Amino acid sequence: MIKLENIHKYYDSHHVLKGINISVAKGEVVSILGPSGSGKSTLLRCINFLEQPTSGIVEIGGKRVDVESAGKSDIFALRTSTGMVFQQYNLFKNLTVLQNVMIGLTSVKQLKKDEAKKKSMEILERVGLSDKLSHYPAQLSGGQQQRVGIARALALNPEVLLFDEPTSSLDPELVDEVLATIRAVADTGKTMFIVTHELNFAREISDRIIFMEDGVIIEEGTPEQLFTDPKMERTKQFLSKATRNN
Amino acid sequence: MENLLDIHFLIESFPAIVSRLPITIGIAVGSLILSLFIGVFTALIKIYKVPVLSVITSIYVSFIRGTPLLVQIYLVFYGIPKIIYYLQIEYGWLQSADVNSIAPEVYALLAFSINLGAYLSETIRSAIESVDRGQFEAAKAIGMKPTQMMLQIIFPQALAVAIPNLGNMFISTIKDTSLVFIIGVVDIMGQAKILGSRGLAFFEVYIAVSIVYWILCIAVERLLVKLEKRARRYERGIAS
Repeated sequence: MIKLENIHKYYDSHHVLKGINISVAKGEVVSILGPSGSGKSTLLRCINFLEQPTSGIVEIGGKRVDVESAGKSDIFALRTSTGMVFQQYNLFKNLTVLQNVMIGLTSVKQLKKDEAKKKSMEILERVGLSDKLSHYPAQLSGGQQQRVGIARALALNPEVLLFDEPTSSLDPELVDEVLATIRAVADTGKTMFIVTHELNFAREISDRIIFMEDGVIIEEGTPEQLFTDPKMERTKQFLSKATRNN
Repeated sequence: MENLLDIHFLIESFPAIVSRLPITIGIAVGSLILSLFIGVFTALIKIYKVPVLSVITSIYVSFIRGTPLLVQIYLVFYGIPKIIYYLQIEYGWLQSADVNSIAPEVYALLAFSINLGAYLSETIRSAIESVDRGQFEAAKAIGMKPTQMMLQIIFPQALAVAIPNLGNMFISTIKDTSLVFIIGVVDIMGQAKILGSRGLAFFEVYIAVSIVYWILCIAVERLLVKLEKRARRYERGIAS
């Protein structure tokens, strides 16, 4: 389970996250929605310290870290218990598909090469890329790259997967294959945090939806609650506008 | 009849000149290796903005760029023995070093490494900085340590970017090694000078030595093209 307690983030004097509290149960799929600049990506990146939060507590799988006194080993623990999928895929360009998935197992978990290879091939099979093992990222479509990104994040068997707008840089016709992959992962009972603009997808896949604006959580609830009967006027406004555009 | 060239002398000078090729290549390759260490080290100092060392690095690079290589070679050749001697007398350090037995090749290697290191520093820094931020983030996100990230992800990509520049600098260094005879190293240029004064046929030996340099540089250029292709193999957009 994951717990974020009173997370604040300042960029100099700019207050980006204003005390975020979220608690996610094991196996829960939580989507974070909100307009651009609301701080949702920053929040996600604070969980694994790609951004250093200014204050607050991050707890993942029993490991409790006060961000102000977090040392290298704390950050390492949080990073190895999370897997991140990036908007721009960020596959290691100099490594093949198989190596991209293996590298975390060999370098970080220090598994033997054979074992790491076997595991990686199983995971790549799950995302349907067994036939691309020796391709480099530049030789793949965006959708394929993102599926490798998901496989790479899954390889370390993290407590939670963090998706940072996983389909936002994809051509429209490639979005579905990535969403299908994410859905398949969700079905295995993985805990997931998804920042997305795909409202229909969020509605369908999530156990809970969080709506953020200006660095605060405005409203949260089940997809049904938020989409059919939002309590806050702002949520209603955003969802109706955004759904219309979908 | 007056001959423009003594062709026989020219041709006969080749074997003696070529026999000194290991010295030229040794100094060039040796200083390339040492200067890569200097270059990477100083580039990282600049990138991570290490206090004090960062300033020292800036001064070092500025000094090397702002003074002639010839002067730097003299500084190393005359300066280092004096410094060692001073340390021995004043502090009793480095007692085992015999200043008089240090071969001039060692000074040449040092001078060229220091020189090339400064030039590589900037090239390597900009190559590392040209690697996409997302590569760093992805490596951190899976829990890679900074050294693992650098060695396995960042350096290979930076190298691919830097090879053309590194190659040009290396070729310049090969040609610059022709200066080492001034401190008594007999490289191919030194050998040419010796032969020339022995036979009073300078034009001939300089033609011979220029041909040797030319062929050497062409060979290195070819090798660099292959290396670059290899380093950039992952950028090919077409599936094989």
